[in-house]
Amino acid sequence: MLLPETPVHRKSSLLDRVVPLLIVATAFVTETAFAQAPPPASPAQPAQPAPGPTGAPAPAAAQPAAPTVVIVPATPVPAPAPGEIPRPDAPLSSDTSAPSVPGATTPGVARGNEPSRVVTEAPSAHEGHFEFGSYGRVYAASDLRGGTGRGTNVVAFGPRIVDEGNYAELELRREDKWSERVKGRVVATLALFPPFFHFSGKATQAIAVRNLYAQGTYDKVTMWAGSRMYRGDDIYLLNWWPLDNQNTVGGGIGAPIYKSEGPGTSYETVLQVHAGQQRLDNPYQFQQIPVVAPYGFGTVDVTKLDRPRTIETVKLTQFVRPGGGSAGFKAVLYGELHQLAAGTFVDPLTKVDRGLPEDSGWMLGSQLTYFTGKRDTYASLVMRHARGIAAYDPLAVPITFALDRTTSGASETQIALSGNYEQEEFSILYAAYVRFFRDGSPADTSTQKYDEGTAVIRPSVFLGDYFGISVEGSYQQRRLAMLQPGTNDQLNAGVTKFGVMPYFSPSGRGSYKRPQIRLLYVASFRDSGTRALYPVEDVFSQRKAEHFLGIGAEWWFNSSSYP
Amino acid sequence: MKAMQSKSSRVVMAMLVAGACALPEIGCVTVPNEGKQPAIATHVDDWRDEVIYQVLVDRFANGDPNNDYKVRPGYLARFQGGDWQGLIDHLDYIKELGVTTLWISPVVKNVETDADVDSYHGYWAQDLTQTNPHFGDLAQLRKLTAAAHDMQLKVVLDIVTNHMGQVFYYDMNLNGNPDIYIGGSGPLQGAGSKSDIVRITEYDPDWDPRGVQAFTSLGNAGRAPVIFIQDPSINRVPPKGILGTARAYHGFGRILNYDDEKQRLIGDFPGGLKDVATELPEVRAELIDLYTRWAEVADLDGFRIDTVKHVEYEFWTEFATAVRARLAPQGKSKFLMFGEAFDGNDKLLGSYTQPGMLDSVFYFSQHFQVFRDIFQNAHDENAQKGTDQIQKLWADRVVNYNTQPQPGGTGIAPAKSLVNFMDNHDVSRFLFEALGDKEALRNALTLLMTEEGIPCVYYGTEQELAGGNDPSNREVLWTTGFDTTNETFRHLSKLARLRAKYISLRRGDTNVVYATPHVKAEDDAGIVAYERAGGDAGDQYALVVINTNARHQSTTADGAKAMKITKPGVTLVDVLDPESKTYAVPANGELRIIVPAQRAMILVPQEQLKP
Repeated sequence: MLLPETPVHRKSSLLDRVVPLLIVATAFVTETAFAQAPPPASPAQPAQPAPGPTGAPAPAAAQPAAPTVVIVPATPVPAPAPGEIPRPDAPLSSDTSAPSVPGATTPGVARGNEPSRVVTEAPSAHEGHFEFGSYGRVYAASDLRGGTGRGTNVVAFGPRIVDEGNYAELELRREDKWSERVKGRVVATLALFPPFFHFSGKATQAIAVRNLYAQGTYDKVTMWAGSRMYRGDDIYLLNWWPLDNQNTVGGGIGAPIYKSEGPGTSYETVLQVHAGQQRLDNPYQFQQIPVVAPYGFGTVDVTKLDRPRTIETVKLTQFVRPGGGSAGFKAVLYGELHQLAAGTFVDPLTKVDRGLPEDSGWMLGSQLTYFTGKRDTYASLVMRHARGIAAYDPLAVPITFALDRTTSGASETQIALSGNYEQEEFSILYAAYVRFFRDGSPADTSTQKYDEGTAVIRPSVFLGDYFGISVEGSYQQRRLAMLQPGTNDQLNAGVTKFGVMPYFSPSGRGSYKRPQIRLLYVASFRDSGTRALYPVEDVFSQRKAEHFLGIGAEWWFNSSSYP
Repeated sequence: MKAMQSKSSRVVMAMLVAGACALPEIGCVTVPNEGKQPAIATHVDDWRDEVIYQVLVDRFANGDPNNDYKVRPGYLARFQGGDWQGLIDHLDYIKELGVTTLWISPVVKNVETDADVDSYHGYWAQDLTQTNPHFGDLAQLRKLTAAAHDMQLKVVLDIVTNHMGQVFYYDMNLNGNPDIYIGGSGPLQGAGSKSDIVRITEYDPDWDPRGVQAFTSLGNAGRAPVIFIQDPSINRVPPKGILGTARAYHGFGRILNYDDEKQRLIGDFPGGLKDVATELPEVRAELIDLYTRWAEVADLDGFRIDTVKHVEYEFWTEFATAVRARLAPQGKSKFLMFGEAFDGNDKLLGSYTQPGMLDSVFYFSQHFQVFRDIFQNAHDENAQKGTDQIQKLWADRVVNYNTQPQPGGTGIAPAKSLVNFMDNHDVSRFLFEALGDKEALRNALTLLMTEEGIPCVYYGTEQELAGGNDPSNREVLWTTGFDTTNETFRHLSKLARLRAKYISLRRGDTNVVYATPHVKAEDDAGIVAYERAGGDAGDQYALVVINTNARHQSTTADGAKAMKITKPGVTLVDVLDPESKTYAVPANGELRIIVPAQRAMILVPQEQLKP
């Protein structure tokens, strides 16, 4: 149970501080001794608690319950003033797993042998509250042939209009402010993946915990740790974060290192660094194998491969607002370092041990953005270049390698342009990118050596304050270092799309106003190279045109991941 | 403020520099020209000038780890990881060895695995239109042939027309499942019971002259339906086109008696490899079209054709004629087609070289009668045969093999261009049978490289690999480190250089001037000598003398009978000898030479000596 908490301030003597510490220390020493001298195991039972799915000892045995110390206020709690958050009727311990103590909030109630003592609660400067935020998109669509609408992109970051798929995030966030200098935030974000129950009829739901971190700010320095989507600016039309998009478990720190004061052009420089890990559940990074149990019968799992990808990032952001107005520039320098240790795994296909050498990579990128500060109008240019393992999305594993089975020689270079312009009843969103990806394989021809790019434009007309209609046109192409089967031509796959999207936007007019409730029709025209990407058993190897007629909604509000 | 503006400028400048750093990486991806359709051409002058090097691609060199799907190092019945890129990477090794033509194992997509054995060898075809991704894609195959041609190496492709991989089963019990039945109900002699074991597998049932039969508890139920298997996980799916239909197969079950011509021609090849109905015009057309296409798209120089004795003669006439007719107008002539008939019957081998058929065959009779009986058995005087067996076998060339070039073929009569080999992937390696006798190996190589015809060396011979029967004879080569300094490598390389240098060793006719039935203590035991001269070699001359005896030196004479050559009065130089010893031939042509045990001489006239 998560409830708002109110810290208690009290006067305390040295004895008051020492006694609880002694209690805790005594308990700890006792538990430690217990853990070091377990009772003899029976022959049929493992001496240690049976490992859980990950091989870690069961929590109950490894984490003895800590003694609970309850501090009891000696004076009645004053009634909340108008506007204040009412004090909850709950134990004052921050350990929500501790049992409730009847009357714990009643003056004069003590526990155990602890002497009753007087605690005076200081006036609280704390402000805290919960927030709920969400991002989501849900569609139902037909291909006008009796099937469901289907994505048609052939590039990594094609237009989202048909391909983005259903997805939602539910964010629960705790915001605290203890003083003007000290603030905190705890964020938990659940991501929901399709299919949803009303579509599949299955009461199973793929849920991922994405954000799960705590953040604190002291003065201007912000620190965080946990699991976090740690991102820069996205290109909405492509559903893509072209410069920085970290999804790690780790931590970071950031602060404005310069901020101009006074009238005129304002400057602000922000420095952020982060380090995190990913250990994908893939034999490339992590593997557990069963071995004969050392005691008794059966098997136990041991970790054969454990090599997280460690990523360090540094980001320097410069804001410039000429004349101190709302318009300005944002410039970013960004870099990443990636490391993977060496390891050995059992090839799941052949049951043969295979070595994985250590690997590394780096990325360097930059961004320059101009924004008007009005109606989300902006233009942005991003460039980045990556080498080695950094050329690969950290949420995926490489599938091709150099001769030494590293990703040395792999590279990714990309340039992306995006923007939005809004004026009166009209807006235009646009985006384009080119990307050059080369794997490290020694072969000249490979599906992992390609150039690709996309250009997409979405003009909209606002019909009154709440309605509008958008049209979208795009072209995308991927050129692979492969021959198109049956021809002497290089395999070039291109898709042209045209779409129209009337919508209702209850939050008002604007390219980025949400929610939107939409009707959507998109036609995709697929060339022979695109069709050649699919196995002959797939109708996509035959169809030149694809339809997508659907109804859906997209929303975002109050989400820290989608500010 | 000014300072901060300057700071901002520096930041922006740094960003631009970073962006500019990325620019040199930008460049359009392309398929290299060598990977595109080549301008096909004739790369061969005279196939007798060539030395074929047989490569099992999976075992030669691993040049690209990204096609190492299901590789299990050390388990020779499974994939090991070799590929065409590995071959490309080691063409200099092949060149240094002195061989001139690569015979590569089949390139087409296979059924991946069967009964826990992999199709690393390539003989379990499933799709004749696609490359086997274990070895590379079409561009890489083209790159291999282009790189080989650039180094004056030719490429011969191994193909199979007799059968496909195990793509279907016979539903003998009509239950729609591929079953293996083991049971017993027959009489057990003397025990008064019925319990003898019967094993029936619907994957690979025994030959039945009526065609594989279905059965029920009441007896036979007619021909068993052919059911194609749908198992994409191992690429066991129906082939494309007519080869994906039941009528393209004979359906008589596994060959039990190879001497029964009907079984041999229409029976399934052991291992469940389904016999193709090659007599059907549409099947023939498909096979001709699909295989000729490989020569066209990859600029190949020839076919080595598997299991020719399991296909009717008419097919070979039509196949060979059609391939030649289709390639010649495109500029590719002298396209070598040689067949493999795993048989010691010399007449049978020769029958596939009848007019209009194949240019050559794998000289299996020689493998048995010469390399096995004489060279491999050198360690055992009771098993070793006399060299007169060589003389007799070679004399039959003009009897059993076509002595006229095939119309539109290589321009060389089959009798003069048989593909000579000591061992290959279907028999245990020479050293295995020779009990590791490397002297015997090198001696046999001398005969192989100096006799009439086209020598063919199985990969790894030069590294003295000694594996037993399949798959032990299919070792990975890369564990040898591609050593070019060992004695056998250097010997073979020297023989190849001599063969290239002296046209007499390549194109001369053969005249056996000494052979003997003696294999024991006799003075001439194990001696064979033959001249290579005349014919297409003009006046060029070479005399090869080999002592196949492992126990003592021998001489080219037996008492009063001495070797008599056709070059009296000349001085011959032993070009194989590092000291280049000379031998004066008397006016009567009689030459008595002492040859140490398991040694040989290649003698050329002093005036024809080449630097």
